[in-house]
Amino acid sequence: MMKSSRKKRGQFVIIAVMLTAIMMVSIGALMHGAITYYKHEPWEEYSTLIGDIEINSRRLVELSLADYSNSLVEDNSTLSVYLGNWQTDLIRIYPSSGIVLESNPLSYELKNSSRVNSTTSESMARAAFTLNVTSIGLEGYYFEVATSLTLTIDSITPINETTNEIIAVVRSETGPVPNLNEENFKIDGATKTTVYPDYATINAFAYRIIYDGPISPTVEVQDQRGIRVVGFKS
Amino acid sequence: MRIRNLRNTKGQMRVIETILASFIIVAALSFVSIFAVSPESPGYEMTDLEKMGYSALHDLDQQGLLSPLVYNPQNWSDIRTLLKITMPNDVYFNLTIYEVDGLRLNADSDSEILYGDSDTFSDARNVASLTYCLVGIPETGYDPRILVLELTRG
Repeated sequence: MMKSSRKKRGQFVIIAVMLTAIMMVSIGALMHGAITYYKHEPWEEYSTLIGDIEINSRRLVELSLADYSNSLVEDNSTLSVYLGNWQTDLIRIYPSSGIVLESNPLSYELKNSSRVNSTTSESMARAAFTLNVTSIGLEGYYFEVATSLTLTIDSITPINETTNEIIAVVRSETGPVPNLNEENFKIDGATKTTVYPDYATINAFAYRIIYDGPISPTVEVQDQRGIRVVGFKS
Repeated sequence: MRIRNLRNTKGQMRVIETILASFIIVAALSFVSIFAVSPESPGYEMTDLEKMGYSALHDLDQQGLLSPLVYNPQNWSDIRTLLKITMPNDVYFNLTIYEVDGLRLNADSDSEILYGDSDTFSDARNVASLTYCLVGIPETGYDPRILVLELTRG
């Protein structure tokens, strides 16, 4: 009787240890799942992939506007053609990611007031996108891209009989454009053009353009992105 | 005599129980450790390298440095320098540039954008690979380039 009771106690210890082991495995698996999920999941990689598509979609809209503002004929199909190709190529570039970039043609806008003579001219493009990435479960990531270049001719002042001075403000969608020089400005019928950045004359960042030529010329600006805008002071 | 014999048996049983218990505990711990993701494990290393590569390319692209260099083959050595500065010293890389139809543009040994020996990649235990794309520059218009960056730790 005593022997039997001792035997049972031995079995109980084994059962207890086994239960403890099962508990340890279960807790270990749970802890592993909880701790390593966020550590192991390449969130940064996903956000960079989305960032890559977003940056390059923006750049594509800028390229479309550059083409549109430089073309002699008004062809506003550039944006839809470029975006169509980009959507197809993305599927080829990331075949296993299930990337679908959708863009509604109704959101497309291309404007080039360079064709109209005015004191403030603007070249502008806009498009809206929806991104789905099946491999990471991303659906309906919406972003809008608007890009522009505006030229405002503040004043034209004669310095002497042949030389004039223009104060011009050039802005993009993010603010004043500071990295322009003589090569970026073209003044119709002018010679000896010199361009200086100017902070004082109108209490804002502007360009002081000194040139020999007509008093009311057409001023053309092309920024580093290739976007062109033409202005005229009447 | 009989009682002594019984006590002897009880002692042996305890030893056997202890041995069995330790086996079970060791087995349980080994089973759990299979799932552990330590900093040295291949999964963690690959993710870490991929994140590093993506961040480097994305940062350079965001600053507007990457596209002008990629679209001008004469500047490909500058890409190597930039990536070398951006990434830690013990990370080796090999950047390949493709056109969208799959044509490799830097196939020659002169135009390779490589840091480390070619053996570094063939001998490496963990090589991470990532794809980044660019759409074009004002001079080219829409002309996508696919960048494939391979990374490994030395």
